[in-house]
Amino acid sequence: MMQATRRGVIGAAGAALVAPRLGSAQASARILRFVPQANLSNIDPVWSTAVVVRNHGLMIYDTLYGLGADFQPKPQMAAGHEIGDEGRRWTITLRPGLRFHDGTPVLARDCVASIARWAKRDVLGQRLDGLLDGMRAIDDTRFEIRMKKAWPGLAFALGKPSANICAIMPERVAQTDPFQQIQDFTGSGPFRFLRDEFRAGDRVHYAKFDGYVSRDEPTDFMAGGKPVHFDRVEWRVMPDPSTAAAALQNNEVDWWETPLADLLPVLRRNRDIVVDLVNGAGNLGVLRFNFLHPPFDNAAVRRAILPALDQRAFMDAAIGTDPEMSRVPAGAFTPGMPLANDAGLEVLSGPRNLAAAQRALRESGYAGQRVVMLSGTDIPVLQNLSVVAADLLTRIGFNVDLQAMDWGTHIQRRTNRGPVDQGGWSAFCTTWEGFDVSVPGSHQPIRGHGAAAWAGWPTIPRLEELREAWFEAPDLAAEKRIAEEMQRVVWQEVPFLPLGQVLPRMAYRRSITGVVKGGPALFWGVRRA
Amino acid sequence: MFAYIVRRVLATIPVMAIVALFVFSLLYIAPGDPAAVIAGDQATPDDVERIRASLGLDRPYLVRFGAWVWDILRGDLGVSIFTNLPVSTMIQQRIEPTLSLMIVTLILAVSIAVPMGVVAAWRQGTWIDRAVMGFAVLGFSVPVFVVGYVLAYFFALEWDLLPVQGYTPFARGFWPWLENLILPSIALGSVYIALIARITRATMLEVLQQDYIRTARAKGLNQSGILFLHALKNAAVPIITVIGIGIALLIGGAVVTESVFAIPGLGRLTVDAILRRDYPVIQGVVLLFSFVYVLVNLAIDLAYTLFDPRIRY
Repeated sequence: MMQATRRGVIGAAGAALVAPRLGSAQASARILRFVPQANLSNIDPVWSTAVVVRNHGLMIYDTLYGLGADFQPKPQMAAGHEIGDEGRRWTITLRPGLRFHDGTPVLARDCVASIARWAKRDVLGQRLDGLLDGMRAIDDTRFEIRMKKAWPGLAFALGKPSANICAIMPERVAQTDPFQQIQDFTGSGPFRFLRDEFRAGDRVHYAKFDGYVSRDEPTDFMAGGKPVHFDRVEWRVMPDPSTAAAALQNNEVDWWETPLADLLPVLRRNRDIVVDLVNGAGNLGVLRFNFLHPPFDNAAVRRAILPALDQRAFMDAAIGTDPEMSRVPAGAFTPGMPLANDAGLEVLSGPRNLAAAQRALRESGYAGQRVVMLSGTDIPVLQNLSVVAADLLTRIGFNVDLQAMDWGTHIQRRTNRGPVDQGGWSAFCTTWEGFDVSVPGSHQPIRGHGAAAWAGWPTIPRLEELREAWFEAPDLAAEKRIAEEMQRVVWQEVPFLPLGQVLPRMAYRRSITGVVKGGPALFWGVRRA
Repeated sequence: MFAYIVRRVLATIPVMAIVALFVFSLLYIAPGDPAAVIAGDQATPDDVERIRASLGLDRPYLVRFGAWVWDILRGDLGVSIFTNLPVSTMIQQRIEPTLSLMIVTLILAVSIAVPMGVVAAWRQGTWIDRAVMGFAVLGFSVPVFVVGYVLAYFFALEWDLLPVQGYTPFARGFWPWLENLILPSIALGSVYIALIARITRATMLEVLQQDYIRTARAKGLNQSGILFLHALKNAAVPIITVIGIGIALLIGGAVVTESVFAIPGLGRLTVDAILRRDYPVIQGVVLLFSFVYVLVNLAIDLAYTLFDPRIRY
């Protein structure tokens, strides 16, 4: 029921002078107003890896498979699949009734073209691209993927929730160069993108797609049914966290994806607001080293940090002292996910010993070289992690030069492979989305393929061998064994150091129910009470 | 006069050319790479290079500058690297909120600050004068975003009188449009009110000492007639100059105010573009701001003639 408010009275008085305000209480009840984590600056989920673009992609596109709450892939657009030729050939059948937003049916050839484009950009897609022996539509509802060798993880890759998702687009759209943005945003997901109403940096509007045929199953994270209970979902970009908090309290928005930790106590005190852990995968904090130049080209130097690394200190700085907002100890894989394990984790969970770290550094051969630590100041979590890391390294005995810059500069600086006196760097802190670092296939920090690796460019052949083995692992037990071995290698080679798992909360009006747990904000299943 | 206006308008061309060269060069040498931002952490160096090439960022400085200038001469500000929308479209989408904010702020500021300054001068040394000057010091000292937060807390959260954020286009009605602008305009206008009030007071104090004011009083004119018809008109030139200078303050302040009140204007567009290194958008908006500023200066110069008949161009 709508309350009579003073603003309403003033507005009513003002209405005597003006045209009537749009909408009514009943109409707005059918609109979900959402504050996304960031500005949606582009809208192609294959072209961009930004999380907010992925979230947008999940609104308007559907995927062949979706992860369930158990993080196992289940058919979504697919009715099912058959595997033949000793695992090298997958024949996927589409479920009936699938339509794009323009009313045309989703055909097998649309899927083939979409997978081909995605395979050029996504890290797991590139794996498929390398294995691909051929892909073709058999008829309108079936298509075949032939690979040079078996890949049991194909369904996971096609349904993975992390960027880049394998969004199914019409063939004409999917034929766009993967390095160019698409111009046609016709999807087949539960919402239609209202392009005419799109204002980058301000608002993104979606309408319920009436032609969407949801699976006749309960909602199961990204799998199962995707029932929609709102006519429209309106994203409202708010760069200022205090404004977003005030808007939520004032009932001007319904749902805020990433409340600032500092503001959570205020929101919790409001009886009309629920503060909730929706994305249990959270984000993994990471301290990354540059393997190309001293001092971190020396494994002994990197290992010297381990005895003193206190993940709790990093997490307290990143997201506050509430222990529910973060999880430590965190190993190389996202805590709480199937491959998280305790192998060798005592190096981080045992008593911290600064003196041992100082001694290890002295014995490592460190010669006092300048350690340039990059810090992105416009992302508070990363800034805070960087400051703690710089302090830790200084106390251990490193000669630290903490360089603050905006995120745009940070991203460019870390592509510089030169030494620090030529604009290079030694270390930086960042976070990875929990889903990305939950499995070896999409876990960039754990890779060791040298020049082609993520910034830092470690060469660790053993990690690459193990990653390759993970792709071929026949079952979860085998995957776990590989993950444990990879984690042990991480403690020896230290391509990165996990700093803990950040578990950001979402905040929404108590009138909003049915929020789907497990990952990013999803808009199916949710309704207004 | 017409010839003067034409000369001044033509003079904007070299000014704009210098601005264009400066902005382009500054962005060229500034650190940051939109291709790296787009590509994300999973991209290989080859991927980043391909994106850079597809955006034309791998071309030499002179080629890029020449192409950009040529496009501008044809009325094309380019296409956003990220949204793929024409920059002119993005500016068009964002110009109304910023213009609205500036107009309401300007009206609010002038209608509050000028009477404040006049009254303070008239009552020099009294508690009214001290209160006005105290307010001016406060207006100068407290940052726009602090004023914004305080206003939002009381007027929106505590008293539920006005919305916290957002913008409603004028086409949807006067009150919905205005109610979103009241708090941001007060926040943005606080510095401006302080500035104009101080200048008005100082100028009025000087004018009120003039012989013609004494004559007016001797003639038996009432106080308001003396203050607002005789004194204020003669004090107008410095006040108008400050109002003109203040428009630059408004442009700068709009960036912060639009962020605090989530108003989708040009200020936020600029900040977003800078953070992402969306070069065509930055260049387009800065050019627009420069052009507006040049025009405002021209308008101020012309306004002088309305208040001081001795000024002729």
